[in-house]
Amino acid sequence: MTSQRLLAMTFAVALIPAAAVAEDPIKIGYPMPLSGPASVYGVPIVKGAEMAVQEINAAGGVKGRKLELLTRDSKASADEAVRLARELIIKNGVDFLSGTLTSAEAPAVSTIAKENKIVFVAPTSKTIQLVSPKNLHPYIFRLASNTDIDGRTGASIIAKWKDVKRVATIAPDYAYGRDAVGAFVEFIKKARPDIEIVDQQWPKLGTADFTPFITAQMGKKPDAVFCDVFGGDFVTLAKQAAPLGYFKMINNRLVDGGEVGTTDAALALGKDYPYGIWSDTYDPVIWPENEPPAHKAYIEHLKTFTKQEYASGWAIMGYASILALKAGIEKAGSTKSEAVAKAMLGLSFDTPIGKLTFDAKTHETGMGEFWGQMVKDDRYPFAIMKNPTYLSQGPYTQ
Amino acid sequence: MKTNDLASRIPWTLVVFLVALVVPWLGSRYNTFLATQIAISGLFAVSLNLLLGTTGLVSFGHVAYFGIGAYVCGILMKTYAMPFSIALPAAALGAAFASLVFGFFCVRLTRIYFAMLSLAFSQIIWAIAYKWNDVTGGDQGLPDVPYPDLDWMNSIPLLGDLRIAGQFYVVTLVVVGLSLAAMRRIINSPFGRMLTTIRENAERASAIGVDVRRYELAAFVVAGGFAGIAGALFGIFSRGVFSDYVFWPKSAEVMIMTILGGIDHFWGPVVGAATLVLLNQETTSYTEYWSFVLGTILLVLLFAFPGGIVGGLSAGFAWLRRKRRGAAGPETGSAEVATVEVKRA
Repeated sequence: MTSQRLLAMTFAVALIPAAAVAEDPIKIGYPMPLSGPASVYGVPIVKGAEMAVQEINAAGGVKGRKLELLTRDSKASADEAVRLARELIIKNGVDFLSGTLTSAEAPAVSTIAKENKIVFVAPTSKTIQLVSPKNLHPYIFRLASNTDIDGRTGASIIAKWKDVKRVATIAPDYAYGRDAVGAFVEFIKKARPDIEIVDQQWPKLGTADFTPFITAQMGKKPDAVFCDVFGGDFVTLAKQAAPLGYFKMINNRLVDGGEVGTTDAALALGKDYPYGIWSDTYDPVIWPENEPPAHKAYIEHLKTFTKQEYASGWAIMGYASILALKAGIEKAGSTKSEAVAKAMLGLSFDTPIGKLTFDAKTHETGMGEFWGQMVKDDRYPFAIMKNPTYLSQGPYTQ
Repeated sequence: MKTNDLASRIPWTLVVFLVALVVPWLGSRYNTFLATQIAISGLFAVSLNLLLGTTGLVSFGHVAYFGIGAYVCGILMKTYAMPFSIALPAAALGAAFASLVFGFFCVRLTRIYFAMLSLAFSQIIWAIAYKWNDVTGGDQGLPDVPYPDLDWMNSIPLLGDLRIAGQFYVVTLVVVGLSLAAMRRIINSPFGRMLTTIRENAERASAIGVDVRRYELAAFVVAGGFAGIAGALFGIFSRGVFSDYVFWPKSAEVMIMTILGGIDHFWGPVVGAATLVLLNQETTSYTEYWSFVLGTILLVLLFAFPGGIVGGLSAGFAWLRRKRRGAAGPETGSAEVATVEVKRA
């Protein structure tokens, strides 16, 4: 009997440290497009998230527990993202969800997060629908900017150009383009009643021929253009518009709200970049002056982490999504989604691009982006942003 | 021949239904979701096979009717807060009506031209879904489509223990089971036999006085209606309707399911749907290079079973039977007949 009890006690004692060390990691599910055209955004965002997890784990994890990232390829499809979210929650038992890219995936996963009461941080989806009052629920949080902020901020830049009277817009013909341009027009009409919208073009997403849209717009002789064409479409647009003298005619006064100010977009266009236009990016990556030291360290690590010569401007969103969850868990003192969801209301956390705060009412960070003129710099074989300035234009008030 | 008679007398739809019904009580909530997806995809694939296998019409645009069903049901349930009992029939009717209109033009063409026109129509539906922001939600779709009101199930023993997803699975299974039973009847009816005649030789069919176009149009409408039911269920299952549902890759996906399972057998597309859903789920959770792995597996399966999985298996069984009979005595003649019969069943 005694020996048996002794054995049991030794066994129990031996188990205590083992249990403390081998505590389960905090799991974060990350569905994201990793194949197909949308992967040019999805892959760097996931890299950013992976790097954040690595850094946090190297520093001892969150509340002594390691983080574990479960990335899955959502194939940029809403129903696949839903299936993955369910699989991650039920089968893999994730504690939190982040990820998703398109404006269909994020609201689709948001429904699943609500159903399962799991905190979901959407890093890049900009649709205003995601956290509109009728779709808002306690577990959804948006890190990214939104189409309202995009359009308004673009308008605030053009509004400063006093000699501009005739403005045109060109944006892809779907909800994202329509919403951003709608916000742009509303803002600029109030800020500068003397400005006239002379032309609006709606090329379809993924079109191979922008020429008819460009020539039609040039016929209306605008002084400046608000553009929301992004990614591969912007590459096509820039290459076709330059020989027609489009940028020359408007004196490079084109403001693009579609993140063509990222190093990714600048690299894709190389020497064909329409130097002199204005655009935005979440992370300027190359920051010629006044670069915050935290940003410098982040970029240096990112370059070695991804083994790339120039870091991506998208990785920051994945990186910050993990920081947001970490801050939420620490404030809540728990990994229970219910507690973390409450803690995240009004939560502020530091990122390499500055402090972000989740608004307690809208569940958004109200995050703006870095805006600036894209210029030629002999040190780099592509356009870089001159004086990146953080701008976030809220509703127009006067 | 006796075993064959017995096999044909078993109500297979009922057997499969009863076996599948157990899933939610086995404990894993995720398996219930997978089973729901398989049931819905199976119905969608069988409805395509009514065109592909039974009538011999290759439709690349079958997803249009799936999508219309999903949108009609989703819009009615979410925007207008209609009950499921109205939204589901409305989805089937809406999809059937659309296939009547589009089918009217499609059946005037044959083979590749039919396929291309059906694809063109489905892309028109996609463009409408993608752009008509006020009604379809455009590219953002209609998130948060509610589950049907299944509170009445709570008072029923066993059913009451299930969560809403499990209860919806039961509803899905009943709807899919009834739909499959109906389609099976249609295929085995004189009307269905006529469709097979058209598939075998359309010229000869028209020579004996069959109005080929009218029969093809009827098949198109029936297939479209059932695809609409599958779409309606899928919209609720995924808790949202999105423009992906009407985009052409979904047409390709259901085509793969149907061919993978075997177009010569009623249950072939269901087996194909289950295989593809499970393969997709396994490959995406284990590797980032799922498309490479999935593509290779599909390639091997299609080479190993040219008649689809069910076709390959039944050919294998027939071969075994023949071999056994060959050992017992010279009876190969009747075995040949049996093989042909199995193939056309």
